[in-house]
Amino acid sequence: MNRRGALTIAALAGTSILTGCWESADVTVHEQGKYKGRGDPLLDAKSTAEREAVLQKRFQLVQADR
Amino acid sequence: MARMKFLCDAERCIECNGCVVACKNENEVPWGVNRRRVVVLDDGVPGEKSISVACMHCTDAPCAAVCPVDCFYTTDDGIVLHDKDLCIGCGYCFYACPFGAPQYPQKEAFGVRGKMDKCTFCAGGPGENNSDEEYTKYGRNRIAEGKLPLCAEFCATKALLGGDGDMVADIYRQRVLKRGGRPQTWGWETAYKKAG
Amino acid sequence: MKLIRKNGHAEGGASVAVGMPGEAIGRRTFLRRSGLTMGGAAVAGMLPATMMRKAHADKFAPKAGVATELRRSICTHCSVGCGVIAEVQNGVWTGQEPDFDSPLNLGSHCSKGASVREHGMGSRRLKYPMKLESGKWKRISWDTAIDEIGDQLLSIREQSGPDSVYWLGSAKHNNEQAYLFRKFAAFWGTNNIDHQARICHSTTVAGVANTWGYGAMTNSYNDMHNSKAMLFIGSNAAEAHPVAMQHILRAKENGSKMIVIDPRFTRTAAHADHFVRIRPGTDVGIMWGMLWHIFENNWQDDEYLRQRVYGMDEVRKEVARWTPAETERVTGVDEATCKRAAQIMAENRPGTIVWCMGGTQHTIGNNNTRSYCAFQLALGNIGKTGGGANIFRGHDNVQGATDFCVLSHSLPGYYGLSNGSWGHWSRVWDVDFDWVKSRFSQEKVIGDNGKETMPMNYKGIPVSRWVDGVIEDKANIGQKDNIRAMMLFGHAVNSQTRGEDMKKAMAKLDLMVIIDPYPTHAAVMSDRTDNIYLLPASTQFETSGSVTASNRSLQWRDKIIDPVWESLPDHVIMAKFAKKFGFDKELFKHIKVVNGEPLIEDITREWNKGMWTIGYTGQSPERLKAHAANRHTFNTTTLKAEGGPVDGDYYGLPWPCWGTAEMGHPGTPVLYDTSKPVAEGGLNFRARFGVERNGETLLAEGSYSVGSEIKDGYPEFSDKVLKQLGWWDDLTDEEKKLAEGKNWKTDLSGGIQRVAIKHGCAPFGNAKARVIVWTFPDPVPVHREPLYTPRRDLLSDYATYEDRKRFYRLPTRYGSIQAKDHSKEYPLIFTSGRLVEYEGGGEEQRSTAWLAELQQDMFVEINPADANDRGLKDGQMVWMDTPEGNRIKAKTMVTQRVAPGVVWTPFHFGGWYRGEDLLDKYPAGAAPYVRGDACNTAMTYGYDSVTQMQETKVTLCQVTAA
Repeated sequence: MNRRGALTIAALAGTSILTGCWESADVTVHEQGKYKGRGDPLLDAKSTAEREAVLQKRFQLVQADR
Repeated sequence: MARMKFLCDAERCIECNGCVVACKNENEVPWGVNRRRVVVLDDGVPGEKSISVACMHCTDAPCAAVCPVDCFYTTDDGIVLHDKDLCIGCGYCFYACPFGAPQYPQKEAFGVRGKMDKCTFCAGGPGENNSDEEYTKYGRNRIAEGKLPLCAEFCATKALLGGDGDMVADIYRQRVLKRGGRPQTWGWETAYKKAG
Repeated sequence: MKLIRKNGHAEGGASVAVGMPGEAIGRRTFLRRSGLTMGGAAVAGMLPATMMRKAHADKFAPKAGVATELRRSICTHCSVGCGVIAEVQNGVWTGQEPDFDSPLNLGSHCSKGASVREHGMGSRRLKYPMKLESGKWKRISWDTAIDEIGDQLLSIREQSGPDSVYWLGSAKHNNEQAYLFRKFAAFWGTNNIDHQARICHSTTVAGVANTWGYGAMTNSYNDMHNSKAMLFIGSNAAEAHPVAMQHILRAKENGSKMIVIDPRFTRTAAHADHFVRIRPGTDVGIMWGMLWHIFENNWQDDEYLRQRVYGMDEVRKEVARWTPAETERVTGVDEATCKRAAQIMAENRPGTIVWCMGGTQHTIGNNNTRSYCAFQLALGNIGKTGGGANIFRGHDNVQGATDFCVLSHSLPGYYGLSNGSWGHWSRVWDVDFDWVKSRFSQEKVIGDNGKETMPMNYKGIPVSRWVDGVIEDKANIGQKDNIRAMMLFGHAVNSQTRGEDMKKAMAKLDLMVIIDPYPTHAAVMSDRTDNIYLLPASTQFETSGSVTASNRSLQWRDKIIDPVWESLPDHVIMAKFAKKFGFDKELFKHIKVVNGEPLIEDITREWNKGMWTIGYTGQSPERLKAHAANRHTFNTTTLKAEGGPVDGDYYGLPWPCWGTAEMGHPGTPVLYDTSKPVAEGGLNFRARFGVERNGETLLAEGSYSVGSEIKDGYPEFSDKVLKQLGWWDDLTDEEKKLAEGKNWKTDLSGGIQRVAIKHGCAPFGNAKARVIVWTFPDPVPVHREPLYTPRRDLLSDYATYEDRKRFYRLPTRYGSIQAKDHSKEYPLIFTSGRLVEYEGGGEEQRSTAWLAELQQDMFVEINPADANDRGLKDGQMVWMDTPEGNRIKAKTMVTQRVAPGVVWTPFHFGGWYRGEDLLDKYPAGAAPYVRGDACNTAMTYGYDSVTQMQETKVTLCQVTAA
């Protein structure tokens, strides 16, 4: 058994000790690190590609020592 | 794909707080909340340096890694954003962040910690771009308008650069090269002066 | 909903968690050191601003789907002239964008510039006219206000003469308002008019104009890109002119050396290659100490001195006494440090010198500024790109307001107050000279020189001394009666010294009127309970007009929003008073007034017709607007347009922009630069002081601008000179009619200027600069100890002047004050300066939440040694007491930024008096967020020997725990 598996078991054991024998069914089990919120149009890959050239030009205009 | 990055050139930063106020103005950040701050080292003595600090939009963002509700997401160009509707204001990201970026507005004068607020790279948050709702929760979405963060665009000395990481690096490298010929600079002496 | 974390991705999370404790401690230490953890906690109880801001903000938030218009103005905080782009939705200012097309700021802003949108929110602005009645602020209408104030002024005029009303103008006026204000005071009939330039760069203007002709910054911020060395003395650009630092640091990256001379290790010094710490008030000493090394090593530019400078031999005699030992005795700077500074300047030419208030605000301010000039002349640095005297002005339009002479001693364009000057302007105004004369008091008074003079020709009381104009025994002053009414247009009284005396003066006044966007310190500091009026003025974002940046470039401002609340622009308020006084017909003879507002462009065109002396004649509204529209076509180093519709012009037509607008002169980017023809912005030193002295010529010898047909020095141009040269017939017949009997300053056709320039000559002649000003109290600049000095041992060699009986109408004390030793009771030198977030009296910025949040307390910087000697800790409240019995309260900041024996405070605070917060005395909703004791409350007596500049940079104090 790898280390991760051992941790999982330890964690589960801990949970059952704390909550006794009963656990609520109203539980969301999820993958950690995966965004759960609302969508953002900025996340659209196509928009990112279009934006790249625009933002590069803007950078040159505004932030370079003209 | 380009990654958006901030870089503060300490040789140029003069601690004028222009970036701090630009952020407040653009995003209507309330009193007591500072998405960006200027940090001064060796204040008042030779070697004094200042740099402007905000969320650095880490590639492997520790805030996202520790968030118990997973409200963080990263855009393809590397901007780290979060959903305030999910955020529970626990403050865990504040501990994780190496830069002290997360802020917690108070709901009342002596109040409870509110939802986390931080620099959005002027890219707003989830939901429709530049909607009234996005503005109220996150501030202006300049990225969607084809503009870069106002703090960098306003910087008095162009010390704070914000944009495509490669372009930022190019400008900075050019400056470092130019300065190479003049080791009289404070800091240079501190780092390289002859022993004794 | 409950959340249970699965450990699927635990590796990343776990490693962060494990690393965290160590990380956290490191960061916290870091935060504490840098002051990052302050703020939040400190602010929490202070202001329930979070909720307030929210409700307030909604109104000014950008709305989705609403059309946005872009409008352009110029920042109103300092003289760099940064372009401001405003986003406006339905008349509401909803956003700011970088003006990256501007060659002056390339889109940049400091904290103040980044905050200007707040002006449009006006959260702490005066909302409507008010008057103080039985200690309460009562709202009144504009009509009532003008009527009541006007009646009182007219009755004072009747009883005591027009000189008993003081018209205090502002560096916040645009050029048109400044010009109109000067004209307005003339039509009222007094020279008791002045503005902040008196207490900012008056000693510069007097010193520099008397050295080489014009008293302004010779080059530009942008031109510093070309400097090989930059010497800052009494200038903290990083805080006072932050965007200028962009150009300065670019110069540094180009290899320029940077020297900072200052009593304090400033944020500018932090970027310097060489820092020289002097004792406050020893500028002449350090300059002569450096010049001693220049002469000792023959580093001076002999050929330049021979051709272009008069009197350096006499300076050499004075410099000879400033040996390294003497320099160290007086200034505290050792030989090696001083020599290194001199050597850097000698070996890296062209080099520029920058100075500000640290040099000017002294009893010997005019000596200081002239010593800076002499140093630069010795090195041959003036009139060269990359060189020059880059005198950074303070307010956004203090250069323009100075040029339009909102000053007690001159008429617009520095014409002076002689009958000839009045005659010139009467012709421009198209009014009868005798009518103007009749507006003044006809009773002769004894002038400064002890001879009888007409009040019309006698310089008025300067702003630095209005307090004495009120409280001094009227038998001792050079006018009929005391000042009885103060009209304060945009003035911060907390920028003036001697708190208790000012309070006395305010109590004695019949009437005090404050015309300002904010109530200001003046509204609350006095004990008056009646007869103070507050009239809400608009900011420059609520009107249009031109503004002159420090580099003499004029920029056009568009109106961004309509005046907020019931506020009105200054020129509209002046028009109301003019109507009340019954001279509106004369005042606006050639200026259209629409709905009570005098047309700005008409005012511009009027001053275009009269400002020949300094070349404010070529900048028509049309040309200025064309520059604004094509600002992206200007080179950011030379400021010259490269191609496009304004090809060849210099940005903002920096004055002198000779001749008429039709002549198309491009402006003068670098003063006295002989490497270019005059027609293309070249110039030489002005022939202003005669043509010879003691048998020696004052005209240039063998030096002239490229293309000059006269290959030597020559006097200023007049009809006679043109005739002698055989150039008279180059004038058109129409020009001849106006030019007959006139000179380059008074010929309203501009023909004399045009013809001189056509032949490659400068209209004002071609002379040498002079380093000895024989009309000043100290012809060669010498060091004199401040009135309140801790160095009594130096008084035998460097005593101050004798008291003067009458100087700008007032008795003025020097020796009688210095005679008394206060240094035992008050052992610390007290000096003051700038914070980047605030400007001047700080009223606007302390009323802007975004800025106020960043500087919440009045503080005093004190060296750890002095703090420990007094048992003081960092952040503790202390009393600061000064020898005239004034005191202020402040928080300590223990820092090595100041030397032992010196304390420093910022000068922007107000709203407290002697430790007491005056919050309840403000009109409701108009108190600034941040208040504190004004350092100048405790500052002491002392005035420059030429201009009456107040001494705010050296006094003595004691600091004790509060």
